[in-house]
Amino acid sequence: MIKRLFDWLIQPLGLIAVSIAVLALFSLAAYGINTTQQPPAQPIQFPHRTHIAFGVQCLYCHPGAARGPAAGIPSQSKCWGCHQQIAKTNDPKSELRFLKAAVESGTPIQWIPVAQVPDFVQFNHRAHIAAGKNCEDCHGDMTNLTLAENPQVFNMGWCLACHVKNAGDDHAKLVKLTDCGTCHY
Amino acid sequence: MIRPEEIKMSSEETGKWGMVIDQDICTGCQACVAACAMENNVTFVGEVDSGYGRSMHWIRIERFWEGEYPEVKMTPNQPMLCQQCGHATCEPVCPAFATVHSQSEQLNLQVYNRCVGTRYCANNCPYQVRSFNWRDYERPEPLPNQFNPDVTVRRRGVMEKCTFCIQRIHKAQDKAKSEGREVVDGEFTTACAQACPASAITFGRIDNPESLVSQLGHRSHGVKHLEELGTLPNITYYKGG
Repeated sequence: MIKRLFDWLIQPLGLIAVSIAVLALFSLAAYGINTTQQPPAQPIQFPHRTHIAFGVQCLYCHPGAARGPAAGIPSQSKCWGCHQQIAKTNDPKSELRFLKAAVESGTPIQWIPVAQVPDFVQFNHRAHIAAGKNCEDCHGDMTNLTLAENPQVFNMGWCLACHVKNAGDDHAKLVKLTDCGTCHY
Repeated sequence: MIRPEEIKMSSEETGKWGMVIDQDICTGCQACVAACAMENNVTFVGEVDSGYGRSMHWIRIERFWEGEYPEVKMTPNQPMLCQQCGHATCEPVCPAFATVHSQSEQLNLQVYNRCVGTRYCANNCPYQVRSFNWRDYERPEPLPNQFNPDVTVRRRGVMEKCTFCIQRIHKAQDKAKSEGREVVDGEFTTACAQACPASAITFGRIDNPESLVSQLGHRSHGVKHLEELGTLPNITYYKGG
C-alpha cells in the first residue's frame, strides 16, 4: 500500500501534486503571517501626522498615559472640541464627515486598539512616563504616519531588555524590574 | 531527608506582606470568599464539577467538629488561603518555573502564561489552596461585565491561587510613588480583609514593626499552620484568645 503510494508520488504527475500542495501550504502560512503584521482597519483614516504637525501633544489626546495604566483613545467629544471650530469639518468630501456624522447621531466611533499586550500582561503607562520614557520609544515616530502602526512586536524579551538596561547597577531596581510579579498577575 | 534542626522556623525569617486572621471573631459568613472571587475573576465551576472536587476558590472557610454525634460542637471557622510561604513547597516542583518566588514582594507568584498545567504544585501544597482550571467555564451575560481588568482571566489548563491581591499592592505602590511617598499602613488591603464584616482578617507589612498586622502578630498564642514543615507561612491564626 505505502509502496504503491510512493511509486505514484515519484512519477511526474505525483511530483506536480506534491509541489502544488507544498506551495499552497507555504502561501497560506505566508498570508497568515502577513495578516498579523498589518495594522487593523480603522473606521476613520485618522492622520496622526497632520495633528502632530499642528503641534498637538500626544498627551493632549491620550492623557491617561501620564495618570494611569491605560493611555486611552479620545472620545469624539474631545475631537469635536477643536473640530467644531474648523471649517474643513463641514467639507462633505473629507474624512471628517464620519466624525461629524458620529457627533450628530451620538454613536461612538469604534476605534480599533493597535498597541496591545495580552491579557496576562499588566502594563502601566504612568510608571513608564514617570521613568522618563517618551511615547515614541515604544510607539514609534508618528510624525509620518496616518493610522497608528506598531514599530515592533511588544514581546517579553523586548520589555526585559529595556528593563535590564534601565536598572543599570542598581540591584534593588533590577530585582523589581525583572520580577515576574511586576507584570504578570 | 531533612533533620528537624535544619527546618527553619518563621521567627528566624521575615517576609514582606503578611496577614493575621482572628478565628474567634470570624463568623464564617463567606463574605471573603465572595469578595475574593469578584476581585480576582475566580470562576464559578457549577454543581457538576464541584461534585468532582474541582471547585475553585482562592480562599475557603474550613469547618471542623469536636465530639460524637449528636453531641457535636463546632470549633472556630478557619479561613484558609495561600500562606505565601517564605520557603514554599509548590515552587521547587514546577517544571516550567511558572510558580516562582517574587524577590521584590516576597510572595509566591503564579505566572499563568508559563503554566502548562502539570498540577504538581497543587499536589505538593500542604494547605491545598491551589485550584486548577479544568475547563473554560461559561460566564453568562452580564457576568463578563464585572471582570476586574487588573487581573488576568485564566484559561483552561492553568493553575491559580491567592496572590495577596498583588494588583492592589501594585496600585497602592504606583499611587504612592506618583505622590512621592511610601505606602502607608492601612492605605489598602486585600479584598477578603476589606469585605470581612467582623474585621477578622488584617493585612499589611510584617517587616514594619509599626504596622497593625505586626502589632497583632506579637500576641503570644498565634499559630502558623503546618509550620513544622518548614514552609515559613506568612499568615498567623489566632483562636481561643
